[in-house]
Amino acid sequence: MAKNDTLHLVGVYTKTIMRSWFQYKVDAVLRSLAVFLRESTGIIVIWFTLLKFDTLNGWNIQEMLFLFSLLFLTYGILIVFFTGLRDFGKTVRSGGFDRFILRPRGLLFQLIFSDADWFAAIGHGGLGVVLFIISAGNVGITWNFGTILYYVFTVIGGVLIQGAIFLFLATLNIYLLETNSLKELFYWNARRFAGYPISIFHKAIQFCMIYIVPFAFVNYFPAQFLLRKDDMAAYPEIFMYLTPTVGIVLYLLAYAFWKFSIRYYKSSGN
Amino acid sequence: MKLSPYLAFAKKSFLSRSAYRFDHFMGILNTLLRIFIFWGIYLALYNGKSEVDGVTMTMVTTNFILSMGLSTVFCVNDFYLPNRIQNGSIANEMLLPVSIHGRMLADNLGNALFQLVFHFIPAVVISVLVIGIHAPASFAMFALFLLSAIFGYGVLWTISFALQMLAFWLINVWSIMTIKNVFINVLSGSMIPLWFMPDWMKGVLTFTPFSSIYFTPVQIYLGQLSVSEIIKGFGIQLLWILLFVILGKVLWRQGQKKLVVQGG
Repeated sequence: MAKNDTLHLVGVYTKTIMRSWFQYKVDAVLRSLAVFLRESTGIIVIWFTLLKFDTLNGWNIQEMLFLFSLLFLTYGILIVFFTGLRDFGKTVRSGGFDRFILRPRGLLFQLIFSDADWFAAIGHGGLGVVLFIISAGNVGITWNFGTILYYVFTVIGGVLIQGAIFLFLATLNIYLLETNSLKELFYWNARRFAGYPISIFHKAIQFCMIYIVPFAFVNYFPAQFLLRKDDMAAYPEIFMYLTPTVGIVLYLLAYAFWKFSIRYYKSSGN
Repeated sequence: MKLSPYLAFAKKSFLSRSAYRFDHFMGILNTLLRIFIFWGIYLALYNGKSEVDGVTMTMVTTNFILSMGLSTVFCVNDFYLPNRIQNGSIANEMLLPVSIHGRMLADNLGNALFQLVFHFIPAVVISVLVIGIHAPASFAMFALFLLSAIFGYGVLWTISFALQMLAFWLINVWSIMTIKNVFINVLSGSMIPLWFMPDWMKGVLTFTPFSSIYFTPVQIYLGQLSVSEIIKGFGIQLLWILLFVILGKVLWRQGQKKLVVQGG
């Protein structure tokens, strides 16, 4: 099979996905709006809260919005590629994964390109863009070649970090049939903390956010590089430069775990 | 009307909940983390201050523990009717000699009771041990808090009840339910204590049902309301319940005329 039709295949996949997700136009718009609003909940709450209190550990509302924007932007990009891994448990349980195995393409390639949750992508990504536009000019960042390059690498690193977590949790499905609760524990709960400057939380939670589920590298440390808030003093300065490295290393580790585990895949079907 | 079939429905939904143990522990952990996040945020916001606008840190944490705790009990299945309308099973249920609305309530109450015993109590006990809580203002106020919390559940349940009827007209009510929940989360006081809302927002809130759900019970618990204010609070809660029940029943009647179930 010629490899040069890979791009064509990606194109066909994308067109099919778009058709199926946007089949009902009004519903698609409403769903995207609902995701957008649901994800805004925490931000609306912090906006009202800071109307009263002005700053949270030295961070004003604009800086908080900037911190949030990285989280949503990276998730918006992530979910375009990693929906197949997010829903991998379902695919395995329904036996759908067996079909993937029979096709003459890489498994991970198929998982990444054969589905994309566009409502989540638009809801989360759109929110990230809106927050970025509101805050980027008001937080004292000089946008020059250096900072823009830093920002681009940060976003890529942030996507890879979360992609690695998704890939790792998806791989666990090969051993355990049900991993939704683990995903809730390791991904969503960690993400709940990540919207806020981690310096306000208990030391144990900070430790988890840096070394176990390293969300701190998705938004907190990169934001610190650009904003230089006082609470950065509690952490090694090098952390502000590690996001792309953490992303690549974690992703390679998760990929190795996937490669190792896939040999042990046993179908749940009969 | 005989009560026993409804008790059976409630018991069934209570028992079906005990099947998923690991998920349940994760649920409790979720609730605790949500409470701890807001505790962390407010510790940083108060930064050692004993009070802000006459509101002490203990009152804030009490608000979070009680309202987030109650929100685990107040879990309404927003898709009870929509699912049945969509897959057509509503036609069979309407033929049964029990009221479908009664059955819906019984199902949710069975679930709520399970949540109360196995989610609310452990989550609140752990939170109180770790964070601490304001003692109820008095025994009477605690009793009135419980009563007001039941009415708060009523407000939340009837909002969902009325909105579920929209499934007769719309293919997908998921978006509407999600947006409804955003309003409840932001405006009911479970994520931002309503004392800290700006004055214009407090004005707007008096015309909405949201503060009746958690904030009225919490204020009664803390002893912040006078006797006349408590009576007014109950009155407002009952008014919203009545309003949404009437709205739901009207929509139900209209929707039934429109209902077409395919297949046999």
